[in-house]
Amino acid sequence: MTAEARLLLLGWNFRVAETSLRDRIAFSADEVSEALRSLLGKGIVSEGVIVSTCHRSEIYGLFEEGDDAGDRVMRYVSEWRGLEPAALLRAGFQREGAEAARHLFRVASGLDSMALGESEVLGQVRQALRIARETGATRAVLHRLFEWALAAGKRVRTETEIGRHPLSLVSIGFELATKVFGNLAKRTVLVLGAGDTGTLFARQALDAGVRDLRIANRTSSTAAALAARVSGLAVAWEDVPRELAAADVVVGTTASPRPVVRRDDVEHAMRQRRGRPMFFLDLAVPADVEPAVRDVYNTFVYGLNDLEGVAEENRRRRAREVPRAEAILEEELSRFLAWMGSLSVVPTVADLRRRVDHLRDEELSRLPGPDRERFRTFADSLAARLLHEPMRRLKSEADAGRRLDRVEAVRHLFDLDREE
Amino acid sequence: MEWHALGWVAVALYAGAEALSIRALVQPRGLAPVPLLMAVGLALHFADLELVGRALHSVPYRTIGGSMSLFGWMLGVSYAALLFRHRNRAIGPFLIPFVILFSAAGLLLPMASSAQAEETRGPLLALHVTFGILGYAAFTFSFVLSVLYLIQDRQIRRGRTGLLFARLPPLEAIGRMNRTSVLIGLAALGASVLFGLLWANRVWTTFADPKIEWAVATLAVYGYLLWMERRGWKGPRVAILSIFGYGLVLFSYTVVNIYFSRSHTFR
Repeated sequence: MTAEARLLLLGWNFRVAETSLRDRIAFSADEVSEALRSLLGKGIVSEGVIVSTCHRSEIYGLFEEGDDAGDRVMRYVSEWRGLEPAALLRAGFQREGAEAARHLFRVASGLDSMALGESEVLGQVRQALRIARETGATRAVLHRLFEWALAAGKRVRTETEIGRHPLSLVSIGFELATKVFGNLAKRTVLVLGAGDTGTLFARQALDAGVRDLRIANRTSSTAAALAARVSGLAVAWEDVPRELAAADVVVGTTASPRPVVRRDDVEHAMRQRRGRPMFFLDLAVPADVEPAVRDVYNTFVYGLNDLEGVAEENRRRRAREVPRAEAILEEELSRFLAWMGSLSVVPTVADLRRRVDHLRDEELSRLPGPDRERFRTFADSLAARLLHEPMRRLKSEADAGRRLDRVEAVRHLFDLDREE
Repeated sequence: MEWHALGWVAVALYAGAEALSIRALVQPRGLAPVPLLMAVGLALHFADLELVGRALHSVPYRTIGGSMSLFGWMLGVSYAALLFRHRNRAIGPFLIPFVILFSAAGLLLPMASSAQAEETRGPLLALHVTFGILGYAAFTFSFVLSVLYLIQDRQIRRGRTGLLFARLPPLEAIGRMNRTSVLIGLAALGASVLFGLLWANRVWTTFADPKIEWAVATLAVYGYLLWMERRGWKGPRVAILSIFGYGLVLFSYTVVNIYFSRSHTFR
C-alpha cells in the first residue's frame, strides 16, 4: 500500500515574521532554483515552488503522507540561512493539503497582501512558477495548482472591484487627472522638483504615455538629469509661472518653504489657456500650491490630505469586496480539490474500469442478440488482460510525485474527467 | 396599424441595448452588441413610423402619439450620431432610457387623427416639424450630458472615486459630446425655424407668434453658449448654460405651446 501525496506549505510572511528575519530568509531568483534542486535532490519533496517577495518567502511542496517533510524543510532553511530552528518555527507557519492550496489562492488574488488587492503579487506568483518549471521542480500537481491559483487571482480581479481603486497617492492623482482630461498621453505635465517624489511621478507619467513631460527644479542640473532619464524637457526655475499656461497637470514635489504656484500666476495662465482646466497635484510638505488657487475657476487642486482621504476610502472599498473575492476563491478551490482527489489511484482505477465497461457495452449493443453473450466473455477477458499491467504499475509506484504524473496521464489519455 | 409590432420590437431592442449598458456599469464588458441593437431598432422604428404615415395618408406626427414616437426615434438617431462621432459607449445607460421612454409612450398614445387641414400639407411644414423634433431631441441629450458633467465634476472635486466616477467618461469627453449635441440641435432648430418661416410666409399674415419668438430665444441662448465656449468659457459654466437653454425648450414646448400660441397648433 503506497502513501498518498499531500501538499505542504511552509512560509514566513509580513503577518508573522519581522522584516529583519524575512530579509534573511528571502531567496533571490538563483537561490530559488538552487534551493528547489536541493529539496528535490534530498528527496524532501517530490515537487516544489518557492514564492519569494519582500513581504513573504513561501515554500510549496508535494510530499508523502506520514513523512516529516515540514520539519525537514524547516531544518533545510535553518542550515541554509544559518538561523535558529526555534526562531524560524516561531516566526513561520505551516499548512497542509487544502489549507495550503487555499493560502496560495489567497496570495495570488491579493487577499493576503499588505495592500489588499494589489496586483503585483500575481506577476510574482507567475514568476515563481516559471522558475520552478525551468528548474524541473514542477510536475502534475504543483504546476496545475499554480496555474489554477493564477486563473483564480485573475478572476477575482476581473469580477470584483478589489484591485480597481488605487491606494498610492501618485496613482490616485493620475486617476483623478485622467477623469478630467481623458488620455493623458497628449497632455503637458509639469513636475516641480526633481527629488524622490518628483522622480517617482515622472516615471509613472512616462509609463502612462505622457509625451510632453517638463521638469523644473531650483538646481537646474538636477532637473536636466531627471529630464534626460524620463525623456522630458528641463525648464528653468524662473520660467515656472510662464510654463503654467502650457501645463495641463502641475505636480508639486519641492521642499520649498513657500508656495511655488501662486494664484496670480494661475489666473494669468488661465486667461492664456482660454479657460481649459488645470489640474494641480500637491505632494509637497509644506504645500507648493497656494490655497487660493482652489478659487480660480476650472482648477482642480489636490493636497496630501485630499489624496489620503481618497486612499482611505479606496481601502474601505477594497475591503468591502473581500466576501465576493473569497466566494470566487472557494469555488475555484473546490474545483481544484476535486481534480486533486481524482488523482488518487483508487478512484482512477475505478473510473478506468467504468470507461472500459462503457465502451464494451457500446460495442456489444451493435451486435445481433445471440452473439452478444459470446463476445462479452471475449471482451471482458481482453479488457482484463490489457488493463492488468498498467494498473499494477500504477498501484505499485513508490514515488508519490511520479505516481501522480502517471495517474494524470491515464486520466488524460482515457479522457476520464469527461462528463458521461 | 394600431398594434405597432415593428415599433414594439424596436423598443425591445432599445431595452436590450440599455440592459447591456447597465450591466457594463458593474461589469465593464459586453458592450459590443449595443450599436447593432440600436441600429436595427432604429430601422424597425422607422419602418413603423412609415406604416403609420401611410395609414394616416400624412406625416406620422400629426397625432400626439406619432409626434412622441418620432421624438423617440430622433433621440435614437442623436444617440447613434454621438456613438458614431465619439465612440463612447459609457454614456449609453443615461441616454438610451429617454429613447425607450418616448418611443414607448408614442406607441401607447392614440395615433388616430382628424382630417388634415389643407394648409398643413406639403414638404415645407414636414421639414419644419421634422427638424424641430430633431433639434429638441439633440437639446434633450445636451441637457442630460450637462447634468452628467456637473455630477462628474462634483465627484472629481470631492475625490469621490466610486462606481459612477469610474464608469462616467472624463469631463473632457462629456464636454465634447455636449458640444456635438448642441451643434446638432442648433443646426436642426435653425433649419426648422427657416422652413417654418418660409411656410408661414405663404400661409400667415404675420410672424408675430410667441412660439417663434421662444424658438429664436432658444437659438440665441445655444448660439451664445457656443460663441462663449470659443472665447474661453469651459467647464461647469457651459453645462449650466446648456441646462438653462433646455429650460427654455421645455417652456416653449409646454407653457408657450398650450397657453400662448394661437396660430401654432395644427389639426
